Amino acid sequence: MSDDIKKYFNGLLHKVSGLYVIQITDRDGVPLLRVSHSQEKNVDFALMPSLIPTFTTASDQASKLGLGRNKTIISMYSNYQVVQMNKLPLILTFVGAEDCNTGHILALEHQVDGYLEDIKMAVTES
Amino acid sequence: MEQQLEKVLNEIVTQQDTVGALLANRQGLCLGAKGNINPNVSGIGMAISEQVAKLEPNSSVPATICLYSGSKRCVIQKDGEITGIIYKQATTGSTAASN
Repeated sequence: MSDDIKKYFNGLLHKVSGLYVIQITDRDGVPLLRVSHSQEKNVDFALMPSLIPTFTTASDQASKLGLGRNKTIISMYSNYQVVQMNKLPLILTFVGAEDCNTGHILALEHQVDGYLEDIKMAVTES
Repeated sequence: MEQQLEKVLNEIVTQQDTVGALLANRQGLCLGAKGNINPNVSGIGMAISEQVAKLEPNSSVPATICLYSGSKRCVIQKDGEITGIIYKQATTGSTAASN
Protein backbone atom coordinates (compact mmCIF):
# COMPACT_ATOMS: atom_id res chain seq x y z
CA MET A 1 0.00 0.00 0.00
CA SER A 2 2.71 2.45 1.05
CA ASP A 3 4.72 1.55 -2.05
CA ASP A 4 1.70 2.29 -4.24
CA ILE A 5 1.27 5.72 -2.67
CA LYS A 6 4.98 6.50 -3.01
CA LYS A 7 4.94 5.40 -6.65
CA TYR A 8 1.89 7.60 -7.31
CA PHE A 9 3.50 10.70 -5.79
CA ASN A 10 6.74 9.98 -7.64
CA GLY A 11 4.71 9.94 -10.85
CA LEU A 12 3.18 13.29 -9.91
CA LEU A 13 6.62 14.74 -9.24
CA HIS A 14 7.73 13.87 -12.75
CA LYS A 15 4.54 15.24 -14.34
CA VAL A 16 5.16 18.79 -13.15
CA SER A 17 8.34 20.21 -14.62
CA GLY A 18 10.46 22.12 -12.13
CA LEU A 19 8.95 20.40 -9.10
CA TYR A 20 11.67 19.17 -6.70
CA VAL A 21 9.93 17.73 -3.67
CA ILE A 22 6.51 16.54 -2.52
CA GLN A 23 6.27 16.00 1.19
CA ILE A 24 3.42 14.83 3.37
CA THR A 25 3.67 15.51 7.08
CA ASP A 26 1.36 15.75 10.03
CA ARG A 27 0.57 19.20 11.46
CA ASP A 28 3.63 19.09 13.75
CA GLY A 29 5.97 18.47 10.83
CA VAL A 30 6.54 14.75 11.36
CA PRO A 31 7.37 13.45 7.88
CA LEU A 32 5.08 10.69 6.64
CA LEU A 33 6.10 10.55 2.98
CA ARG A 34 8.65 12.38 0.89
CA VAL A 35 9.47 12.03 -2.77
CA SER A 36 12.18 14.08 -4.46
CA HIS A 37 14.37 14.33 -7.52
CA SER A 38 17.65 12.89 -6.32
CA GLN A 39 19.74 14.79 -8.89
CA GLU A 40 18.00 18.12 -8.39
CA LYS A 41 19.01 21.05 -6.22
CA ASN A 42 19.53 20.64 -2.54
CA VAL A 43 16.12 21.27 -1.04
CA ASP A 44 16.77 19.99 2.46
CA PHE A 45 15.24 23.17 3.83
CA ALA A 46 11.89 21.45 3.21
CA LEU A 47 12.82 19.15 6.08
CA MET A 48 13.66 21.99 8.44
CA PRO A 49 11.81 21.37 11.71
CA SER A 50 10.44 24.94 11.74
CA LEU A 51 8.89 24.94 8.25
CA ILE A 52 5.69 23.00 8.89
CA PRO A 53 4.78 24.41 12.33
CA THR A 54 5.29 27.91 10.86
CA PHE A 55 2.89 27.08 8.06
CA THR A 56 0.37 25.63 10.50
CA THR A 57 0.49 28.85 12.55
CA ALA A 58 0.25 31.07 9.44
CA SER A 59 -2.66 29.01 8.12
CA ASP A 60 -4.49 29.23 11.46
CA GLN A 61 -3.99 33.00 11.52
CA ALA A 62 -5.07 33.37 7.87
CA SER A 63 -8.26 31.50 8.71
CA LYS A 64 -9.19 34.37 11.04
CA LEU A 65 -9.32 36.95 8.22
CA GLY A 66 -13.02 36.30 7.72
CA LEU A 67 -12.55 34.73 4.31
CA GLY A 68 -13.20 31.17 5.41
CA ARG A 69 -10.78 28.40 6.28
CA ASN A 70 -7.34 28.83 4.74
CA LYS A 71 -6.59 26.03 2.29
CA THR A 72 -3.29 26.87 0.59
CA ILE A 73 -0.31 29.15 1.10
CA ILE A 74 2.03 29.85 -1.82
CA SER A 75 5.42 31.30 -0.90
CA MET A 76 7.62 32.68 -3.68
CA TYR A 77 11.34 33.03 -3.06
CA SER A 78 14.17 34.11 -5.36
CA ASN A 79 15.18 30.52 -6.14
CA TYR A 80 12.25 28.43 -5.01
CA GLN A 81 8.53 28.37 -4.58
CA VAL A 82 6.78 26.50 -1.80
CA VAL A 83 3.13 25.51 -2.04
CA GLN A 84 1.63 24.20 1.17
CA MET A 85 -1.84 22.73 1.45
CA ASN A 86 -3.85 22.41 4.60
CA LYS A 87 -5.36 18.91 4.53
CA LEU A 88 -5.66 18.43 8.27
CA PRO A 89 -4.51 16.27 9.93
CA LEU A 90 -2.03 16.30 7.04
CA ILE A 91 0.07 19.07 5.50
CA LEU A 92 1.08 18.70 1.88
CA THR A 93 4.22 20.60 0.86
CA PHE A 94 5.45 21.10 -2.70
CA VAL A 95 8.84 22.67 -3.36
CA GLY A 96 9.67 23.74 -6.90
CA ALA A 97 11.76 26.09 -8.99
CA GLU A 98 10.77 29.76 -8.96
CA ASP A 99 9.41 29.44 -12.53
CA CYS A 100 7.57 26.16 -11.86
CA ASN A 101 3.93 25.97 -12.98
CA THR A 102 2.07 26.98 -9.81
CA GLY A 103 -1.33 26.44 -11.43
CA HIS A 104 -0.40 22.85 -12.22
CA ILE A 105 0.62 22.22 -8.61
CA LEU A 106 -2.67 23.68 -7.38
CA ALA A 107 -4.58 21.47 -9.84
CA LEU A 108 -3.04 18.39 -8.18
CA GLU A 109 -4.99 19.13 -5.00
CA HIS A 110 -8.13 17.28 -6.04
CA GLN A 111 -6.21 14.45 -7.69
CA VAL A 112 -4.36 13.47 -4.52
CA ASP A 113 -7.40 13.49 -2.22
CA GLY A 114 -8.10 9.78 -2.68
CA TYR A 115 -4.56 8.79 -1.77
CA LEU A 116 -4.46 11.15 1.20
CA GLU A 117 -7.51 9.47 2.71
CA ASP A 118 -5.47 6.29 3.25
CA ILE A 119 -2.68 8.19 4.98
CA LYS A 120 -5.18 10.21 7.04
CA MET A 121 -6.68 6.97 8.26
CA ALA A 122 -3.26 5.74 9.38
CA VAL A 123 -2.55 9.04 11.20
CA THR A 124 -5.86 9.20 13.04
CA GLU A 125 -5.64 5.54 14.08
CA SER A 126 -2.16 5.89 15.57
CA MET B 1 -7.37 47.13 -13.58
CA GLU B 2 -8.41 44.04 -15.47
CA GLN B 3 -11.05 45.78 -17.58
CA GLN B 4 -9.11 45.14 -20.80
CA LEU B 5 -8.80 41.48 -19.90
CA GLU B 6 -12.52 41.23 -19.19
CA LYS B 7 -13.26 42.89 -22.53
CA VAL B 8 -11.11 40.40 -24.44
CA LEU B 9 -12.69 37.45 -22.61
CA ASN B 10 -16.18 38.82 -23.32
CA GLU B 11 -15.30 39.12 -27.00
CA ILE B 12 -14.04 35.53 -27.09
CA VAL B 13 -17.05 33.96 -25.41
CA THR B 14 -19.47 35.73 -27.74
CA GLN B 15 -17.89 33.96 -30.73
CA GLN B 16 -19.87 31.15 -32.30
CA ASP B 17 -19.69 27.72 -30.59
CA THR B 18 -17.57 29.09 -27.73
CA VAL B 19 -18.47 27.62 -24.35
CA GLY B 20 -15.84 29.26 -22.16
CA ALA B 21 -12.49 31.03 -22.20
CA LEU B 22 -9.66 31.50 -19.77
CA LEU B 23 -6.34 33.36 -19.64
CA ALA B 24 -3.36 32.17 -17.61
CA ASN B 25 -0.10 33.87 -16.68
CA ARG B 26 3.39 32.36 -16.92
CA GLN B 27 2.94 30.69 -13.52
CA GLY B 28 -0.12 28.85 -14.78
CA LEU B 29 -2.41 30.93 -12.58
CA CYS B 30 -5.79 31.98 -13.91
CA LEU B 31 -5.98 35.71 -14.76
CA GLY B 32 -9.62 35.58 -15.76
CA ALA B 33 -12.28 33.15 -16.93
CA LYS B 34 -15.61 33.60 -18.66
CA GLY B 35 -18.31 31.11 -19.49
CA ASN B 36 -18.40 27.44 -18.65
CA ILE B 37 -14.75 26.66 -17.88
CA ASN B 38 -13.06 25.55 -14.66
CA PRO B 39 -10.33 28.04 -13.60
CA ASN B 40 -8.30 25.07 -12.30
CA VAL B 41 -7.48 24.00 -15.87
CA SER B 42 -5.19 27.03 -16.28
CA GLY B 43 -2.17 25.17 -14.88
CA ILE B 44 -2.69 22.03 -16.94
CA GLY B 45 -3.43 24.02 -20.11
CA MET B 46 -0.25 25.97 -19.61
CA ALA B 47 1.73 22.74 -19.01
CA ILE B 48 0.35 21.29 -22.26
CA SER B 49 1.30 24.41 -24.23
CA GLU B 50 4.83 24.34 -22.77
CA GLN B 51 5.30 20.71 -23.75
CA VAL B 52 4.00 21.34 -27.27
CA ALA B 53 6.31 24.36 -27.67
CA LYS B 54 9.25 21.95 -27.21
CA LEU B 55 8.31 20.21 -30.48
CA GLU B 56 9.40 23.27 -32.46
CA PRO B 57 11.85 25.12 -30.22
CA ASN B 58 13.02 27.43 -33.03
CA SER B 59 9.57 28.43 -34.22
CA SER B 60 8.75 32.10 -33.83
CA VAL B 61 5.03 31.49 -34.38
CA PRO B 62 3.20 30.43 -31.21
CA ALA B 63 1.79 26.90 -31.43
CA THR B 64 -1.96 26.39 -31.34
CA ILE B 65 -3.17 23.15 -29.79
CA CYS B 66 -6.60 21.72 -30.44
CA LEU B 67 -7.84 18.84 -28.31
CA TYR B 68 -10.96 17.06 -29.51
CA SER B 69 -13.24 15.25 -27.10
CA GLY B 70 -16.72 13.80 -27.49
CA SER B 71 -18.77 16.97 -27.27
CA LYS B 72 -16.23 19.78 -26.96
CA ARG B 73 -12.90 20.88 -28.27
CA CYS B 74 -10.25 22.74 -26.37
CA VAL B 75 -8.04 25.27 -28.14
CA ILE B 76 -4.84 26.35 -26.36
CA GLN B 77 -2.42 29.02 -27.52
CA LYS B 78 0.59 30.39 -25.70
CA ASP B 79 1.79 33.80 -26.75
CA GLY B 80 4.63 35.20 -24.69
CA GLU B 81 3.65 35.26 -21.06
CA ILE B 82 -0.05 34.69 -21.62
CA THR B 83 -1.76 31.39 -22.41
CA GLY B 84 -5.31 31.35 -23.72
CA ILE B 85 -7.59 28.35 -23.30
CA ILE B 86 -10.91 28.22 -25.14
CA TYR B 87 -13.59 25.55 -24.88
CA LYS B 88 -15.72 25.20 -27.97
CA GLN B 89 -18.75 23.10 -28.76
CA ALA B 90 -17.76 20.43 -31.27
CA THR B 91 -19.74 21.18 -34.42
CA THR B 92 -20.68 18.34 -36.76
CA GLY B 93 -18.28 19.76 -39.36
CA SER B 94 -15.27 19.84 -37.04
CA THR B 95 -16.03 16.36 -35.70
CA ALA B 96 -16.13 14.99 -39.23
CA ALA B 97 -12.84 16.73 -40.03
CA SER B 98 -11.20 15.20 -36.97
CA ASN B 99 -12.33 11.73 -38.00
